[in-house]
Amino acid sequence: MSDFDLERLGDVWRQQLDPAEMERLQRTAAMVSRRARLANIVDVGAAVIVSGVVILLVSKNPTIGTFLMGAAAIVVLLYSNLRQRRLRQVELRGLTGGTEEMLNQSIERVEATRKRNWFGVIMLGPAFAVGMLFASFVAPDSGEQYLPAMIADSGPRSLVLTIAIFALLAAFFLLIRSIRSAGRELGRLITLRDAYRREDQISRGE
Amino acid sequence: MEESPTKADGGGADVSPPFERIVADYGPLITRIAASYEADPGLREDLTQQILLAVWQALPSYRADASLKTFIAKVAQNRSISFVTKQVRQPPVAELPEKLEADDPNPEESAIAASDRRLLLDATRRLPLPQRQVIILVLEGFSYPEISEMLDIAPNALALRLSRAKAALKSMLEHSQ
Repeated sequence: MSDFDLERLGDVWRQQLDPAEMERLQRTAAMVSRRARLANIVDVGAAVIVSGVVILLVSKNPTIGTFLMGAAAIVVLLYSNLRQRRLRQVELRGLTGGTEEMLNQSIERVEATRKRNWFGVIMLGPAFAVGMLFASFVAPDSGEQYLPAMIADSGPRSLVLTIAIFALLAAFFLLIRSIRSAGRELGRLITLRDAYRREDQISRGE
Repeated sequence: MEESPTKADGGGADVSPPFERIVADYGPLITRIAASYEADPGLREDLTQQILLAVWQALPSYRADASLKTFIAKVAQNRSISFVTKQVRQPPVAELPEKLEADDPNPEESAIAASDRRLLLDATRRLPLPQRQVIILVLEGFSYPEISEMLDIAPNALALRLSRAKAALKSMLEHSQ
């Protein structure tokens, strides 16, 4: 490849895929669209099931407390769905917009993820306590047949404690890992955005 | 490339053809863009899947104010750039030779073409991202006004960026001889 002619290079570049590679790509595409459709169905299905379970629990124990807790759960579910929808729209704008705009959006997204994960680290304990409170409202007598035996027998009690502590620690370390990985991604995004800005400055002769 | 006004499988716009047709028409473009951003075959497969998913999700927002090819190339480039910023760089895995047409009448010419293509791909991957983006679009046959619009930069700025990208690519190709 001794001569430098972009048109000729373009011809080299645009060589067609061989039929086997094309067939593999079409299989991958079919799988991707199938999974995406399934994910949409699962999203809606999960929301319906969670709402159904909450309504069932409230109707089985119709007190003000369970009603308020149930309503709060449904509000949280709706909010989370709306938020997910909004995030998808933002991501979509990033994909179909300019590169620097996309990088700016990605930087904002990663910064928000870091903040959210730090918040998660801080709120892990209180969230666990709120969960217990919710459980005691919704099903106040659940597990009471097991509790006396567990309290009396140190084996199961320490097992439950170990699992609870392990779950909390695992959540803590996952969040910390995610914060560190977001930090690295943020660094790469900022470096890249700076590269684009430098390129623009050079192009403008600054 | 014919574009029938049927409803997209990805869900909404009436101006885009079904997803399967899009893959048949623009699959090679998507594959080439993925290959120019990711050398590792495993990661490249991941990237290709992510681009296909992004196209599937973005299709309902396609409004035919630009060609579908431009729209897909833009989504593929943006997804590729966000993919590489997420990756912690690993040492590149040895590249498998590009596949040749099985029923090619002249295997020698095909081998030369494949070798040229591999050299070009390797050189393109070593370009800084802003320059790589421009070179890929030129190699894909987009016009300068289209590229200018896709990258949201002025024609003069594009000309300067392209000129630097060409110089860098030329130097890389010469060094890879």
